[in-house]
Amino acid sequence: MAVLNRMDWYNLARSTNWTPKYVTEDELFPPQLSGDFGLPLNAWETYDEPYKQTYPEYVKVQREKDAGAYSVKAALERSRIFENADPGWKSVMKAHYGAIARGEYAAASAEARMMRFSKAPGMRNMSTLGCMDEIRHGQMQLYFPHEHITKDRQMDWAFKAYDTNEWAMIAARHFFDDIMMTRDAISVSIMLTFSFETGFTNMQFLGLAADAAEAGDHTFANLISSIQTDESRHAQIGGPALKILIENGKKEEAQKRVDIAVWGAWKLFSVLTGPIMDYYTPLEHRKQSFKEFMEEWIVAQFERSLTDMGLELPWYWDIFLNDLSQTHHGMHMGSYFWRPTIWWNPAAGVTPAERDWLEEKYPGWNDTWGECWDVIIDNVVDGNMAQTYPETLPYVCNMCQLPILGTPGKGWNVKDYPLEYNGRLYHFGSEVDRWVFQQEPERYAGHLSIVDRFLAGMIQPMNLEGALAYMNIAPGECGDDAHNYAWAEVYRALRTAKKAG
Amino acid sequence: MSDVQVLKPQKTWSHLAARRRKPSEYEIVSTNLHYNNRDPNAPYELAPDVFMNTWYKQNTFGTRLKHADWNAFRDPDEVIYRTYNLMQDGQETYVFGLFDQFNEREHDKALDPRWAGSLARLYTPARYLFHTLQMASAYVGQMSPASTLTNCNYFQMADSLRWLSHTAYRTKELSLAFPDKGFAQNEQRYWEEDPAWQGFRELMEKVLTVWDWGEAIVTLSLVVKPAVEEAVLRRLGESARHNGDTLLGLLTDAQLIDAARHRRWTAAFVAMATETPGNLEQIKTWIAKWEPLANRAIEAYCAALPDVSTAVEATKLATRDVRRGLGL
Repeated sequence: MAVLNRMDWYNLARSTNWTPKYVTEDELFPPQLSGDFGLPLNAWETYDEPYKQTYPEYVKVQREKDAGAYSVKAALERSRIFENADPGWKSVMKAHYGAIARGEYAAASAEARMMRFSKAPGMRNMSTLGCMDEIRHGQMQLYFPHEHITKDRQMDWAFKAYDTNEWAMIAARHFFDDIMMTRDAISVSIMLTFSFETGFTNMQFLGLAADAAEAGDHTFANLISSIQTDESRHAQIGGPALKILIENGKKEEAQKRVDIAVWGAWKLFSVLTGPIMDYYTPLEHRKQSFKEFMEEWIVAQFERSLTDMGLELPWYWDIFLNDLSQTHHGMHMGSYFWRPTIWWNPAAGVTPAERDWLEEKYPGWNDTWGECWDVIIDNVVDGNMAQTYPETLPYVCNMCQLPILGTPGKGWNVKDYPLEYNGRLYHFGSEVDRWVFQQEPERYAGHLSIVDRFLAGMIQPMNLEGALAYMNIAPGECGDDAHNYAWAEVYRALRTAKKAG
Repeated sequence: MSDVQVLKPQKTWSHLAARRRKPSEYEIVSTNLHYNNRDPNAPYELAPDVFMNTWYKQNTFGTRLKHADWNAFRDPDEVIYRTYNLMQDGQETYVFGLFDQFNEREHDKALDPRWAGSLARLYTPARYLFHTLQMASAYVGQMSPASTLTNCNYFQMADSLRWLSHTAYRTKELSLAFPDKGFAQNEQRYWEEDPAWQGFRELMEKVLTVWDWGEAIVTLSLVVKPAVEEAVLRRLGESARHNGDTLLGLLTDAQLIDAARHRRWTAAFVAMATETPGNLEQIKTWIAKWEPLANRAIEAYCAALPDVSTAVEATKLATRDVRRGLGL
């Protein structure tokens, strides 16, 4: 052989730890940035990444992947898929890009934190590639929606969302900033790569890709499944770090980070991905329900990753499993009702056929969420549109920053979980959100939720108009019903038929 | 509602739309991407005084290197992720083609064993040095106040991994040709103990603990990298050619293509930074602080290089020329 095999030199490329002499180890790797858990350099040298890739392999493979995704985009650019797509599907794209694109770009810096501050040399090289991946995901998920910007002002939010105080973006930032931007290197590896990426990005990128392919949006399907191939590599950065922590008696601290990250990810998915899958995606294109996707990707697969690692299921697993049938229905109804405050047009998704599907997937839906929708539907049919809009803000949780909600109608369980800390009263949407706050209250106590800001007079005038200005969302961007209420026609017809009968 | 203005679609992102010029792909996907400058009190959406918020307030937004709009920075090469891989896959094909051809014609067997000893001491330990550049670029990137600067540093970080990877590859090959020279075994010892490396080791350990973003980017780009590139790429390559090691000379030339790109964005950065009164003096102050350490590193390393008699002075001069070319 004239060229060496990868494994002939791979170990040399990751043998880069040395003993610092001119500065101390703690100066070179400050514990608050490194997150060494009190373990010295040599303890971290056993770190062994399962997915091995070299620099020349990386640039080659990534060049090929990009060629694939960009050529599908180029080939389909004149296909008018966007123009002809169901309005519900356009909303899927808008919500996804706005909440994800620049968050992925920010993740490049979380990867760079692992690169600079991890004491494990293998992790430092893998994070170098991970950092590059996240630049890719940020850049592609800006370039692809930019194609549609001349057609629809809401597409501007693919870029703009992260710069605003729009409520869902405060929630998204609060979650991502908590698990990836403000943590030490090892915590990032556990919370971002192991918990969020292993657990949840499969769900967003493969689940949504399945729906996209069904909906005929091959550009989007191709884009996000290509992204997922990178995620599935760099998501494996956290596993070997967890192994080292567990071997060195740090299981409890590792477990706590997993539990915090998984819960936050779940809450974000309940508002972002749940409504997309169960309400916005046209009925005929739905591959599985949100709950079924969650059960496949999170419950079955992620449970196995946890136990394989020697970790326990999070203490709140029963609560989580129960909430899988509930939370996102409330998030959907909330975001629909507060639709002027979001940058996409939510599809109501409650025609009789869709309700049958919801009842089948979530037995009892009609007796709970359905009862509330009946009121909204009646108002729409009666032309009482003012009644279908909010006048002020919903109460939000001081942890996940999302509305505090429960199940309405016959399943009523709405409850606040309060906590007094340092003389201030905080409100939480669940026992778990409150528990997360209590683990490190100093991280969260000084933060003001959008409702705290409202009550503090930071939002003026104190009405919906003031709130919209504060969120930097204006007519032309504000969400409204995706189908312009055309779905209500069937209810109008039913009512006429009933009267005639 | 009739008097309410309804926003219409624009031709590009609203933050680029005012300029009435079609943005390039580079601008669409590279500019203004950080969102940690929204609230000076809390860069990240948590308690304002949480450790990392304080860290960014102090080291990124509180640096003495000031500019009203760092987001206006543009990489003169306009490198984006997609083009980075196109470019570097091509470069790697070239380098691995060299490895292949030179292996085929048994290049290493023809090397003088004394030169092989020099390689074991002065070349293969460089993987530690290149890794410190990788780490330093990762830090400057994550602390940069503009995504366009961040990206230049992240690509530079990846390029440092590239140089490190070439070194690891050659280390293995040389260990097969010269089993008695300690290749693939003694690099850490040379890096930690050999006087030739101690200057660079001290420089890098100390530079890696510079937390202020302004001082970190100035030190890395204007002092450290010129010193490393002129000594451990250019001068080592020269020494290699004088010792019949054509391969290493070609390899360092290939790596210097990356270094030249890094210097182009550095030049644009210096030009932009010095628009603000006070920055020129501040940059010069930081250079004056770090240059002696870099010069000592060059002296220790270049004095050990065989068959390049003027290496020390020529290398120091070359690094000064890099800075002088930028008005520094």
